Amino acid sequence: MEISGWDVAAVFAKAVTYAATLGAAGAVFFAVYCGVLLRDPQRGLIRRLIGILVAIAAATSILRILLLAGSMSGEMAGMFDSSFASMILGAGEGRASGVRIVGLALILFALSKNPVYRGPATAGAIVAATSFAWVGHIHGLVPNTAPSLLLCLHLLCGAFWLGALPPLLIIAAGANQPQIAAAAARFGKLALRVVAVLLAAGLSLLLMLIGSAAQFWSSDYGRMMAIKLLAIAALLGLAAWNKLVLTPRLLRGDPRAVGLFRRSVLAEMSVGALILLTTAAFTTFTGPP
Amino acid sequence: MLKNSLLAFALCGIVAAGTCMAHAKLQSSSPANNAHLTEAPKTLTLQFSEAAQLAVLKLVRDGKEVPVPLDKSAKAGQSFTLTLPALSPGNYTVQWSAVAADDGHVTKGSFVFSIGA
Repeated sequence: MEISGWDVAAVFAKAVTYAATLGAAGAVFFAVYCGVLLRDPQRGLIRRLIGILVAIAAATSILRILLLAGSMSGEMAGMFDSSFASMILGAGEGRASGVRIVGLALILFALSKNPVYRGPATAGAIVAATSFAWVGHIHGLVPNTAPSLLLCLHLLCGAFWLGALPPLLIIAAGANQPQIAAAAARFGKLALRVVAVLLAAGLSLLLMLIGSAAQFWSSDYGRMMAIKLLAIAALLGLAAWNKLVLTPRLLRGDPRAVGLFRRSVLAEMSVGALILLTTAAFTTFTGPP
Repeated sequence: MLKNSLLAFALCGIVAAGTCMAHAKLQSSSPANNAHLTEAPKTLTLQFSEAAQLAVLKLVRDGKEVPVPLDKSAKAGQSFTLTLPALSPGNYTVQWSAVAADDGHVTKGSFVFSIGA
């Protein structure tokens, strides 16, 4: 497939949609799970973060459809061609975007301080994060109930893990050391199990899609997936360092640990961004062999 | 109650997602890629790996587009046959883009054929 500037723009829009949607969903999960440890300034900042991410996710979901329409025709005018838009919306991408918008709208309940809205916000986070499972290569598998379930698990765990990083950064930037240590420890405890499920689901899906090691290395899909796997390995290394080295130092009151923790979370966010960009690329330009 | 509601939401997503497909690839065409024809073809056929909607089809000869009627509102299918105008000898490039019917993935490509004098 020939790749144009339109295609590259559509991939970036897809990556930003992933980041903003999973980020908003993950921030909701974090607020529910670690909320008891948060103080008002951090709570307010996390609510604001959620609102911004919801707006970005909604905007890029729409922008991506316009860019796909432009990509189809290769011209600016194509972006506003209603026949292209209706083809894209009438297919799986339209349903996925519709589900995502509903989920994002429910996530906005998290902007309220009233804890009664936590339920709808969490439901919205689940719907939005799993909206990406409405399209994609897994649906070429027959039957695809198990792959769809695995992908939903993978997305929810990814949202929990990556989506927690910005709130952790907010806490690391503004809270005192005991609060930072408590949040890091609480998050790290559940994160271990979540990452295990994320990896198990992801690897199972990969085996279902690729089929064999030989096909992995001989296909564009496999080679691009290898970049994602390398980035995940780097992310796991950073996460392990956070849990096994930095969090204990935070809990002991080591004054240097706060700065190191902040830099480590930033590094994880950068690697997370690379993972999402790679995923957007190989799900757009290639398909399983 | 909340946990059951949340699980129901997630399962709805899973069940509803069950019917989608992935990238539609061009499996074959008539004229075939790199075909050298002695007579001008009257139709152009594209065969895809999965049901798709043909969004764009451009036939170009010497940098100039040859108009080919395309019904963009046609239903999705795996095979498309379009009626060609009378073509003069020369080298032709067909540029196409299609949208997979179920997941909206856009695929694009091109192929060439020539008509001998």
